[in-house]
Amino acid sequence: MRVIAIKVMIGLEVHCQLNTQSKLFCSCEAYPQNAKPNESVCEVCLGYPGAKPVLNKKAIDHVVGIGIAMGCKINSETYFSRKTYFYPDMPKNFQITQYEVPIASEGTIEVNSSKIRIRRVHLEEDPARIIYANGSLETTSYVLIDYNRAGVPLAEIVTEPDIGSPKDARAFLEKLSAILEYLKAYDQSTGASLRVDANISIEGGERVEIKNVTGFENVEKALNYEIVRQQNLVRLGRKVERETRHFDEVAKTTLPLRKKEFEEDYGYIFDPDLPVLKISAEWITRIREKMPDLPDKIAARLADEYGLGAYDAKIIVYTGSDFATFFEKVCKIHNKPVEVSRWMINYLLKSLNWRSERLSQSKVTPETFAEFLDMIDKGKVNERYAKELIKEYVDTGDKPSEIVERAGSPPTHDEMERTVKNVLKENVKAVSELKAGRLEAKQYLIGMVLKETRNRGDPKAIARMISEELKMPL
Amino acid sequence: MPTYDATVVTKTKSAGGMILGKTAQDEFGFGTFSDTCAYAVPKNPIDPERTCGGSSGGAGCLAAAADFPHIAIAESTGGSITAPAAFTGTVGLTPTYGRVSRYGLIDYSNSMDKIGVISRKVYDSALMLSVISGHDPLDSTSSRAESGDFTAYVGKSVKGIRIGIPKEYFSDVDRKVSKPVEDALGRLEGMGAKTVDISLPRTKYAIAAYYIVAMGEASTNLARYCGMRYGAQEKIDGEFSEYFSSIRSKYFGEEAKRRIILGTYVRAAGFRDAYYTKALKVRGLLIKEFKEAFAKVDVLATPSMPILPPRFDEIESMSPLDKYNIDKMTTAPNLCGFPTISVPAGKVDGLPVGLQLIADHFHEGELISVASAFEGDSD
Ligand SMILES: [Zn+2]
Repeated sequence: MRVIAIKVMIGLEVHCQLNTQSKLFCSCEAYPQNAKPNESVCEVCLGYPGAKPVLNKKAIDHVVGIGIAMGCKINSETYFSRKTYFYPDMPKNFQITQYEVPIASEGTIEVNSSKIRIRRVHLEEDPARIIYANGSLETTSYVLIDYNRAGVPLAEIVTEPDIGSPKDARAFLEKLSAILEYLKAYDQSTGASLRVDANISIEGGERVEIKNVTGFENVEKALNYEIVRQQNLVRLGRKVERETRHFDEVAKTTLPLRKKEFEEDYGYIFDPDLPVLKISAEWITRIREKMPDLPDKIAARLADEYGLGAYDAKIIVYTGSDFATFFEKVCKIHNKPVEVSRWMINYLLKSLNWRSERLSQSKVTPETFAEFLDMIDKGKVNERYAKELIKEYVDTGDKPSEIVERAGSPPTHDEMERTVKNVLKENVKAVSELKAGRLEAKQYLIGMVLKETRNRGDPKAIARMISEELKMPL
Repeated sequence: MPTYDATVVTKTKSAGGMILGKTAQDEFGFGTFSDTCAYAVPKNPIDPERTCGGSSGGAGCLAAAADFPHIAIAESTGGSITAPAAFTGTVGLTPTYGRVSRYGLIDYSNSMDKIGVISRKVYDSALMLSVISGHDPLDSTSSRAESGDFTAYVGKSVKGIRIGIPKEYFSDVDRKVSKPVEDALGRLEGMGAKTVDISLPRTKYAIAAYYIVAMGEASTNLARYCGMRYGAQEKIDGEFSEYFSSIRSKYFGEEAKRRIILGTYVRAAGFRDAYYTKALKVRGLLIKEFKEAFAKVDVLATPSMPILPPRFDEIESMSPLDKYNIDKMTTAPNLCGFPTISVPAGKVDGLPVGLQLIADHFHEGELISVASAFEGDSD
């Protein structure tokens, strides 16, 4: 098949649940921990007649901060509007959002050295959560609704269709998510999430919207699928129609939700319960002064200060602010940054991912991790054993020295010699290969000895014993 | 039964007031005659064949009829306090928009809804306003303007007070109504007030702008009534859209449905700029025109209603548009958030006529002074 280079235009709408104590318009907890459904609700977020919204200032601070981070213009006067449509998850059957003038507009984020323009960042309320009682949208006969989510503050970040590939879309989302996290506008540990709508068109075709994809990997997959689907349509001489589709996470395909013959009519009006929101220059200055360093800047600093490679520094930073902070804390105790970075990226991160855990949620501390690296450094544990040890360490959070102690003392010199002799006896073929000069055979034999001793020996000592036993030079 | 108290109710209770019950009004406040009430239609204590006015008709009725100390809490979006006060011969005080918290008030048109008072005497209205006014953190549009004791304005001299007479409010008005109002103004002049002729030519746009904004907002407020969470419910059958449409078709009154449809139309894409957005601009221009008048006068005086309280059979023969046009004395000040008071100006053919006074934002004090001076003179 001939690969045709086509122009792809992707735009993203990202909904970020903002890190606030209370909901956007009432004092209900935004992220109640261990709450039953419909427990964190009041007359305001249930949309009871007569209840009125009161704006949460903290949510505005977050959106202003996001706007500043993306180089947006912060609008001094901004409005809230009612977006009316009927849906069971909407307590009032209108959503309070921003239509005319958003809090922030016209910014950029640079991804893989191309500039993605940010059209707007605005504030709105989250609808309730719909639970499909019998599985999915297609199969359910009824739905349950949890209003705990109703009224949670959302920042909606809208890009221009400047993203050129599904890969870049994913990179954009990863970068955006890190920025939001460093700003403390987004905190996954509370249960907050990012939801993505993507729109994509290929040259000459209409725009197709893919709604509510969870997970950045899925966004990339959904977009890749769409490109192939749209190209196939064009190849068959059919038109790409304007429509909304949703992503089937199991089949990894997109399915049509509804055809869009015209722009949906939400009948926007100003929300008359909320006066014009004036954001003063002083307010913006206050937020600007409190702005933390953003990921790219921190990565550059880590590379510079600790002598890390640019790529490793970025991994540390973009894995999360908890990860970067942890790195620096460990370096304070165990001042070998390159080793710290290597063990964090290659092994610690892997063990955390295996447990689907974030560093900040885990039992690992900088002190115990520094101890762990120190033990490797001093030869108390070998690398192979350390790779085993780190799994148990991440699982339990116990001090590495205690885990080693629990595992029993390492084999004595005599025990080691006995093991070496046994291994040599049982691996005649490898021994003869080694004698014939194949050095890989020696590595193999060392590995076998380590296996027998559950990785508790020092590989250099073992090599020496093998050489002595076979009366060969080292 | 509501699950929580409105701020006005909380304030009334904590000031020692007793809430006796709820009074009838047009469904969701949509009406001028209380003829579209969900339960029962209040009849005018002066003549049961006639309307009490609306939409706060029950409040007016009770204020006029109750033979025990009583003050009625009422609501005005476009004139719903003035109308029943005028038709039942009582005092109706509509405060500045934002003066009284709307928290707990079922919304009609949130940018205009105002909680006020209907009572026998100006003093009672002033007293009640002192109790219920003031900033409320639960209502973002409630004002931080100083409230204080409004009874201090009762009985103040009107000497030197400038009363503007806007000519647009005296044309096309039943002579039986305008005559007693003119007499009333003469009496006020006798007490030392000065009358000034004023023109408010933009008034002719007020009714259209008022109904566009009111219906646009109302249609979004009523969206929540969909057979879930509260109100009428039935066994869910079919898809959500089928279910909520059938519930809404069945349980909303005709006037509510009319306003939902018109209100949805004026804010629909393609029509929004021509209606909703333009109406907001008209409101801005009207406010400007009133403010210019208030630079010259302290209060404006108009008839409260353009007609005497009509009989129910007369109301039946009116078209919706005829009914909307009855609000022409009250829509402009209500649309613009200016405070008004309606005070009895005498009777014609045994039926009451109201004098409406309008003041600048947060100048209820002047209204109370003039109304109480006039009331004292009428006694
Ligand atoms: Zn709530």
